[in-house]
Parts: sequence; C-alpha cells; structure tokens
Amino acid sequence: MLATAFTGELTKLRRTIAPWVTLGSLMTGPLFLALFMWIIRDPQRAAEFGLLGTKAALSGIEPTWSSFAGFLTLIVGLGGTLLLAFVAAYVFGREYSEGTAKIMLTLPIPRPSFVVAKLAVAAVWWLTIVLVVFVEAVLVGLALALPGITGVGVVSLLGNLLLVAGISYLLAPAVALVTVWTRGYLAPVGFALGMLLLGNVVGHTGWAPWFPWSIVPILVGSVGDPVDTLPSGSLLILAITFAGGIVATIQVLQNADNTQ
Amino acid sequence: MTSEAVVTTRGLTKRYGSVVAVADLDLEVRKGEIYAFLGRNGAGKTTTIRMILGLIRPDAGEVRVFGPTADSAHPEWLRRVGSLVETATAYPNLTVRENLDLHRRYTGAPARAVPDVIEQLGLAPVADRRAGQLSLGNKQRLSLARALVHAPALLVLDEPANALDPAGIVEIRQLLRSLADGHGTTVFVSSHILVEVAHLADRIGIVHAGRLIEELDREALIAAARTFSAEQLTDQQRADALLGLELERYFLARTDEGPR
Ligand SMILES: Nc1ncnc2c1ncn2[C@@H]1O[C@H](COP(=O)(O)OP(=O)(O)OP(=O)(O)O)[C@@H](O)[C@H]1O
Ligand SMILES: [Mg+2]
Repeated sequence: MLATAFTGELTKLRRTIAPWVTLGSLMTGPLFLALFMWIIRDPQRAAEFGLLGTKAALSGIEPTWSSFAGFLTLIVGLGGTLLLAFVAAYVFGREYSEGTAKIMLTLPIPRPSFVVAKLAVAAVWWLTIVLVVFVEAVLVGLALALPGITGVGVVSLLGNLLLVAGISYLLAPAVALVTVWTRGYLAPVGFALGMLLLGNVVGHTGWAPWFPWSIVPILVGSVGDPVDTLPSGSLLILAITFAGGIVATIQVLQNADNTQ
Repeated sequence: MTSEAVVTTRGLTKRYGSVVAVADLDLEVRKGEIYAFLGRNGAGKTTTIRMILGLIRPDAGEVRVFGPTADSAHPEWLRRVGSLVETATAYPNLTVRENLDLHRRYTGAPARAVPDVIEQLGLAPVADRRAGQLSLGNKQRLSLARALVHAPALLVLDEPANALDPAGIVEIRQLLRSLADGHGTTVFVSSHILVEVAHLADRIGIVHAGRLIEELDREALIAAARTFSAEQLTDQQRADALLGLELERYFLARTDEGPR
C-alpha cells in the first residue's frame, strides 16, 4: 500500500514545474554569494559596483570558504525552510486546488498511507535540492579558488547543510497540517512565513531552544552567533512537532468533511 | 424484494448549520439494479453520495455498502466501488492514459483494463493528451472511465450525463445498461434530468429538501406521469416536447454527416 502510494505521488509530479522552480530558486544562493565575494575581493571593484558593493561589505561577507559556507548554511536554513514549506503545501494542497482530493480519498488505500507517501516525496525532493546546491557550492568555491576550501571544509559544509535541512524537514508536517486543514496553498505558505519571522524574533530570547521555528535560526546564526550543539530538550521538541504534525494531518484527512 | 442490498442507508442525516442537506434518509439499492436518485438542485443528491463514499460524515444514521458499515478508516471495500462525484477532475499534468493507469495501480486492476476503458468511453483520440487540456465533455468521459477501470461491483455516479452531448448521453446510458445486465454491476446514479432517468433506471427515488418523497419503478413512474400530465399538458407543450426530440435527431444526423 505504502509503496503504491509513494510511486503514485511520484507519478503525480510528472511534467510539473514546481520541482524545477524550487531547485532553481535555491540554486541562486551560491551564485549570489559568489557574486558578492567576487565584488569584495577587490576594493576597486566594490567601489565600482556602488550600492551592491557596499551591501556586500556591510553584510560581513569575506571572500573565504568558511564565510561562504556559513552564509550558504544560513540561506539553506532560512530560505530553505520556506521552500520546503512550499514543497509540503504543494504536494498536499494541489489535491484540493485541482479537485483531486475526492479521487484520492475514495481509493482503497488507507489515508495515512497518502500522508506518509507525500511526506516521503517531500523528503526526497528536499534532499535532492540540498545535495544539488551543495555540489554547486563546491564548484563555485573551486572556481573562485576561495581560500580555505579543503576536504575538511567541504565535508563540514555538507554536514551543516544536512543538519539544517533535516531540522527544517521536521517542521514540514506542521505545514502539511495547515494545508489539509485549510485545503489550499495560501494559509500554509503564510503560516511558514509567519513562523520563520516569529522564530527569528523568539530566537533572540531565552525561549529560543524551546521554540521549534527558532532552532534553525540559532543554528545558522541568523540570531546571534551560530551555536554548535543543541540542548536535548530542543531535539525532543522537534521530534514532538514532527510526530504531532503527522498524527494531526492524518486525523484531519480521516475525519474532516470533504466537500470540495 | 428478496435480492441482496448493496447500499443501505438508515436515518442518514447531514446538516450544514441551519440547512438540512439530507434528512433521515432510508435507501436500499439492490444488487444488479440501476437506481436513480432524482432531485432538483440542492435536493441533497451530492451530499448523500459523499456520505455513501465516506467523503463526509453523517450527523446521524449509517451507510452500509456490501453489508458492513462503510468505514473510511478501512477502505478495502472501495476497491469494489467506482465513483464520480460532482465535477469531473483529473491530474491535469498527466495524460488521459496516465491518469487511468495511476488509478489502475491504486486499485490493483490488470494493465489491460486501461486500453479497454479508453475504448469503451471513446477516449482513444485523446488518450495521450494531458487531462488539463481536454474539453469538458472529454473530462467527464475520463472521470467515467476512471470509475470503471477496476471493474467495480458498485458504481456511484453523480450526474454522469453532465457536459455530455446527446450522443454521449445515449452512449453512457447504453454502457450502464450493459454493465448492469451483463456484469451484474449495481449502479446508483443521481440526476435532475427526468427523461434520462426514465430511459435508464430500474427504480427511481425522488428526493426533495433532503427527504425521500417517493420511490417507484420505471413503469410506475411513467404511468404516474402519463396520468398526471394527461390533464395538465396543453397541446402547445406537447408540440414543444416533440420539437426538442426532432431538433436533437437533426443535430446528431447533421454532425455525423459533416459539411455539405
Ligand atoms: N459544504 C457545504 N456547506 C454548506 N451547505 C452545503 C454544503 N454542501 C451542500 N450544502 C447544502 O446542502 C444542500 C444539498 O446540497 P447538494 O449539493 O447535496 O445538492 P444536490 O442535490 O447535489 O444539488 P445539485 O443538483 O445542484 O448538484 C444544499 O442546500 C446546499 O446548499
Ligand atoms: Mg449535486
């Protein structure tokens, strides 16, 4: 059942542009960083580029691999959380916007299988994007010959990207829940944006390790210096958010009226 | 009266705020019959069908399909049900064939079933077109084809004649008749088109404001209508009715023949 549901979800993505749009948008991250680094590497050039040059200098970017990797982790952590929310809202929300929910919900396949299959597809989709962006980042780093680009540095970037991507993924079921609850795209994307902002606000307070949407911000350093370790309470909160989101999404699909 | 009930509802009730969409409905659809559920707009036809299929939960009463209570948490019984609810929908990015094949995989039907229903529903010329690009009538045919792919023992069709041209309506009527007669398929079909039902159904339930107000077989319906209308219809109305038939015949003949 689960395998059928999973391959079915993959089939539903055929010829859709959403996977390419999400991949393309995250792939601009390393390119922008590269542009900034190329500009600030040469003060003369920075002056020529005017505002963009000033911006690059102000943002604290240095033309080194560790600075590049740090900023890329931040982009994947924050921008990616939003992108992943879009992915989750898309795989669940399109059944409502395209009117196919009534088809899906009258199949001889238990509804929880669809929830798990859709989240699995979102995971594969998200992991693919992150890995492609990682490879792109290494190529950009080599092309710019950024100082400090070593095997260890590259592996550490991969580890950090996978960590923040994984944590962002634990928040995806909450987005799925909002999607099936409201039966559309708008609310879940708004929800994710709101949580991202709230997470960055709460991130400045002592509550940061206990608020699921603040954990990526404190890891990537968008609120203060990046931290290396999380209290085990944070991991517990994330696990609860993940499992709770899945259970609640299944409950809504199982019990809510489908009158679309 | 002794034959086995395929769909039974007892005291089925659904309210939306102060609107009672379906009120205390007792239905019994027997094996191999075509039961038409006839009612005006807003009578509660679609709401009843959604409850039979487990898309919405009744406020009171129960639905039994093939004996046991229809339970959406254990949807194995849906393998034997083909359905079309309200508007025709499909995954727009997939072709006709891909949509049907997806459904075939979900329901475990043999591969052969897909070309067979494409043939049956006259979809061969558009089989490799994306569902999103189909005309309304062909979308309707696709949805009907989907309902048939897995050779269900019970068909639950909500206004299957929607968007079909006169020839299409006749085709579908013949198809449903041959499924009921040749394969013992039970058909529960909603409609607001009287003529349609008079030609097709073995038994007719008339629903109004959520209540079943009359239940009769086709001969009884036609006889009742004759007696009733003998006193009511003017010559002008009879002539208009005949004109409708004449126009339809002419239209079909001319479109078969082509330009001259
Ligand atoms: N989701 C809903 N929220 C509120 N009221 C609803 C909802 N769905 C149906 N209704 C109401 O329930 C009643 C029955 O609606 P239903 O769609 O079952 O009618 P129908 O017989 O299928 O009509 P039609 O021939 O127009 O398709 C109507 O008064 C309708 O307005
Ligand atoms: Mg209706």
